[in-house]
Amino acid sequence: MPTITIDGEKYQVDGEQNLLSTCLTLGLNVPYFCWHPEMGSVGACRQCAMMEYKDSEDQHGRLIMSCMTPIRDGGIYSVKDEVAEEFRGSIIEDLMTNHPHDCPVCEEGGECHLQDMTEMSGHTMRRYRGTKRTHRNQYLGPFINHEMNRCITCYRCVRFYNDYAGGEDLQALGRNHQVYFGRQEEGRLENGFSGNLVEVCPTGVFTDKTFSSHFVRKWDLQTAPSVCEHCAVGCNTAPGARESGNSNEPILRRITNLYHHDINGYFLCDRGRFGYEYINSATRIQNVLSVRQEDVISSTAEKGDRMHREINPQEAVLHLAEQIAMANQGKRNLIGIGSPRTSLENNYALRKLVGSGNFYSGLSQKDQELLHLVSTIQQDDRIQSPSTPEIENADAILILGEDIYNTAPRISLAVRQAARNRQKQQAKSLKIPLWQDSSVRQLEGDYSPIIFAGTELSNLEKITSNTLFESPEKVASFACNLALAISDPTSLSPDLEPSLLELITHTAGILRGSSKPLIISGTSSKHADTLKSVAQVATVLSDYKKQPTMLYLACDEVNSLGLIQFFNDGKGNLDELLERLKKNTDNQIPTSLMILENDLYRRLDKKSLEQLLSQADEIILLDTLLNPTSKRADWIFPASVTAESQGTFINNNGLAQRFYAVYEGKGFIQESWRWLMDAVNFCTEKPANLSAIAEWQHSTDLSDAIAREFPVLKALDSLGPDEDFRIDGLKVARQSARYSGRTAIHAEKQVSENPPLQDPDAPMSFSMEGIHNPNRSPLQANIWSPGWNSNQSIFKFQEEVGGERRGGPSGIRIERPQRVMPEWPAPSTPPEVAADPSHVQMLPLYRLFGSEELSNQAMGISEVIEAPFVMVNHIDAKAFDIHQRELIELETSCGTYRAEVRISPTIPSGTVGIPYGLPDFETLSPLLPGYASLRPAEAPAITED
Amino acid sequence: MIASQLRSMWLVFKHLFRRNVTVQYPDQKPYLAPRYRGRIILTRDPNGDERCVACNLCAVACPPDCISLQKTEDPDGRWRPEYFRINFSRCIMCGLCEDACPTYAIQLTPDFEMCEYDRQNMVYEKEDLLINGPGKYHDYSFYQVAGKAITGKDKGEAENEAAPINIKSLNL
Repeated sequence: MPTITIDGEKYQVDGEQNLLSTCLTLGLNVPYFCWHPEMGSVGACRQCAMMEYKDSEDQHGRLIMSCMTPIRDGGIYSVKDEVAEEFRGSIIEDLMTNHPHDCPVCEEGGECHLQDMTEMSGHTMRRYRGTKRTHRNQYLGPFINHEMNRCITCYRCVRFYNDYAGGEDLQALGRNHQVYFGRQEEGRLENGFSGNLVEVCPTGVFTDKTFSSHFVRKWDLQTAPSVCEHCAVGCNTAPGARESGNSNEPILRRITNLYHHDINGYFLCDRGRFGYEYINSATRIQNVLSVRQEDVISSTAEKGDRMHREINPQEAVLHLAEQIAMANQGKRNLIGIGSPRTSLENNYALRKLVGSGNFYSGLSQKDQELLHLVSTIQQDDRIQSPSTPEIENADAILILGEDIYNTAPRISLAVRQAARNRQKQQAKSLKIPLWQDSSVRQLEGDYSPIIFAGTELSNLEKITSNTLFESPEKVASFACNLALAISDPTSLSPDLEPSLLELITHTAGILRGSSKPLIISGTSSKHADTLKSVAQVATVLSDYKKQPTMLYLACDEVNSLGLIQFFNDGKGNLDELLERLKKNTDNQIPTSLMILENDLYRRLDKKSLEQLLSQADEIILLDTLLNPTSKRADWIFPASVTAESQGTFINNNGLAQRFYAVYEGKGFIQESWRWLMDAVNFCTEKPANLSAIAEWQHSTDLSDAIAREFPVLKALDSLGPDEDFRIDGLKVARQSARYSGRTAIHAEKQVSENPPLQDPDAPMSFSMEGIHNPNRSPLQANIWSPGWNSNQSIFKFQEEVGGERRGGPSGIRIERPQRVMPEWPAPSTPPEVAADPSHVQMLPLYRLFGSEELSNQAMGISEVIEAPFVMVNHIDAKAFDIHQRELIELETSCGTYRAEVRISPTIPSGTVGIPYGLPDFETLSPLLPGYASLRPAEAPAITED
Repeated sequence: MIASQLRSMWLVFKHLFRRNVTVQYPDQKPYLAPRYRGRIILTRDPNGDERCVACNLCAVACPPDCISLQKTEDPDGRWRPEYFRINFSRCIMCGLCEDACPTYAIQLTPDFEMCEYDRQNMVYEKEDLLINGPGKYHDYSFYQVAGKAITGKDKGEAENEAAPINIKSLNL
């Protein structure tokens, strides 16, 4: 390790880094703008100037840009030298000449890197008296606000958006002093990672528009570590909330990235960043509702829909207690339906209440089998589930049947970085350090091989070397043949099409020849054979290489992999429940269904679901948003969302992560398990299972109970501190030390202050009292350090710049028993049939905005969701005589759907692409991939029934 | 010892001819300088628009945390407080809010007579705070200095601003 001297102090440092990031790792304050820990150096802003001395004799030294300077063993440097300080001061003075007098009306103010650096460089008085250059702004969509006057031309935005995230619609326009960062014409920034511009931009050119509509300064946000609930990647977030001064009720104001070395690093996708608004949406359930008995004069409700009225929670809890008591006496069947989008704790509580025999996963048979497969595959020791940095280091990637940009967006960003590995190898051989970003990017050469086979590929088309657009059956057979080709290239059947054969041998060659191959697949194609064949490829590759193969399997929802751990026997899906209820018809015992945070219309086809619901005598729903299922419920309890509760999710990697309540939900909203516990407390007789529930006080009690009951989930008891944990006798503060308005915010109603709320679940306070330093506890999510008010201060809490957060990673991998996966028979190859409009296969297509249930209700996102469509192959379209944008009717086993036609050259012939979960098409999702017939729409629109 | 008593009596006697320092408050009001730190007001700019842009700096500067407000944005692009509340029962009249205010909106006045029987009446909302004038600073208008465009003041029209750049020109 080289030793260097900075301002007279000797340090042992990592020689791979440049001088700037070395200084930051050492905790020294060096100002910078264009350098970014993830994007490297370009030396554009000249802000990080330092002095370098030839030797200890050298009195004068020379100015160097620390971000462009490699570490020299024995080097002598200075940050505090007067010449360097003066130089940095003059640079910031120049940058500030055109900066508008905007800070009070700028959303960045208070967490602005430019403000911090100006302070740090000592520029306090403006001397420039000339005119300021001005720019006109552009409309950039519902997420990002644009204010070009504030730009200091550091080029970070285009370096992130174009170079790092692969966006194409943001450019540096104009020239010299007048450079403009914007789009060619106004419109939404199309890339799904555009929200990161808010954090990447060192000043307020790009700000969060959704945050601006309920804006408060960073110091006024209370925060806690949370996990994004909009997909199964498990990105860490730091939601910020604050009470509103008019109603005293807290609202969630924004989501920012919370650095996690192994998952999201510095970046989030737009669904995760802007999807939070569903929490404040009009469809949020805020009160306990029960069905209205009295007749109303007229209503727009459909047949079978219930109409609800608000009732006193106690009445509802008493009713629930009565049901539980009756179930215990055997006078009632109490059936629980769990959910993959709520915590393990909530699912466990319901399971405990109704008993394991009466607890169902809330997934269809097909979905549950797929998840079971994922878990089985990951249990094999020949498979390794890679973290994001491991994905970024893969030198060959095979993506099978998963459109990751839309189903696991953060992973597609990692894949994009992996595409540059060949370039990075070349840079290494030329002795160019990797942090020399623009030099590395200028190297010519191909991308690292990325091969895709599946239905649709978004965002990554330009970096994939080979693509095969086929139906899931063909993808499975491709994978199967690939497995054969890897183990023995001569064993391939000669009947294969020559082009396919070539692709298979090419792919097999690449996988065999690479040192760190990665395979990505998932459940989104809803096709078990694809998963099985993918697993086969991975195991064959592992046998060939004598090392575990990296296989990333994406699941649908945030806790899919967690929920499935409760159903290790493969039983407990909704189809089984339907069978059971059908058999029970002559039974005199009435049935109550308790549905936990689940919209069953997205799980089971409408016909079966209507049957299922009609078999139940009473439906009790605990949920966060009103949805089609809530229309059928007799009792509805308002449940808290992720940001309002504590619990555990298990992500695609099998990593158990705990999320903490950022604020207390308003009014009667509380965690689902607390509703159940309240009801149990009202029961007079408590058998063993109920008395266990009645004893729960903290969320961690449930976590510990899960860890005791399920050996697989043993990690849960060591996952985070219990609620009685203290540091120096203190809790961790959710509010910043400078949280304002404490004695005024509630004064409208009552001038005397109430004591802060107590958190029964976590060792954190809902006030400014407690530990603020993120180095003292990973529970502190307010990333702030003196002099570093922006999120850039994260380096103060990392072991080294871009490294693990101090105190180690949060989250523990669950320990599933190592088990060799069974040998599955090869999937049968589907016969070739001519495309027929009366029998087309519907394949699910996913959308970043629109396919996920909760984020669809966010105001900003609902603006950009596409209208439903049916995607048809261009050759089929000609044969069927249908045209682009024409209205078409899709007749399925559950009614007719009507949508516009989109013609695509890539969607496989004989199939049509159906957007999964899009508004109006939600009830179509359970049918995918199924068959339907197409016909031009003539009659007036009838969407369902 | 007698000398000391005589001296004291002389001193007391001398005060009979001094000017009276007791003021007959409240019948007689003392002079308070315009920059006296008393009751807080919100002022308007010379055009009569609210000066406060809801930047939250007064709230964060306030030692007893007795200022609370919420930003909202008008259709013309101006930032404005949706509500602005000062809990005067907590206020210590330190004037840090006035120091922090970048728009001269919040000002302290020479009025200190704020007695109430009910503490709840010490909570002032925006309607109670806002006056119909510019207070101590007659000419300042924040949006004429700031770069943010609002209706009636386009980009390039603020003080010391050049006309907006046409990025489609050659920009030589």
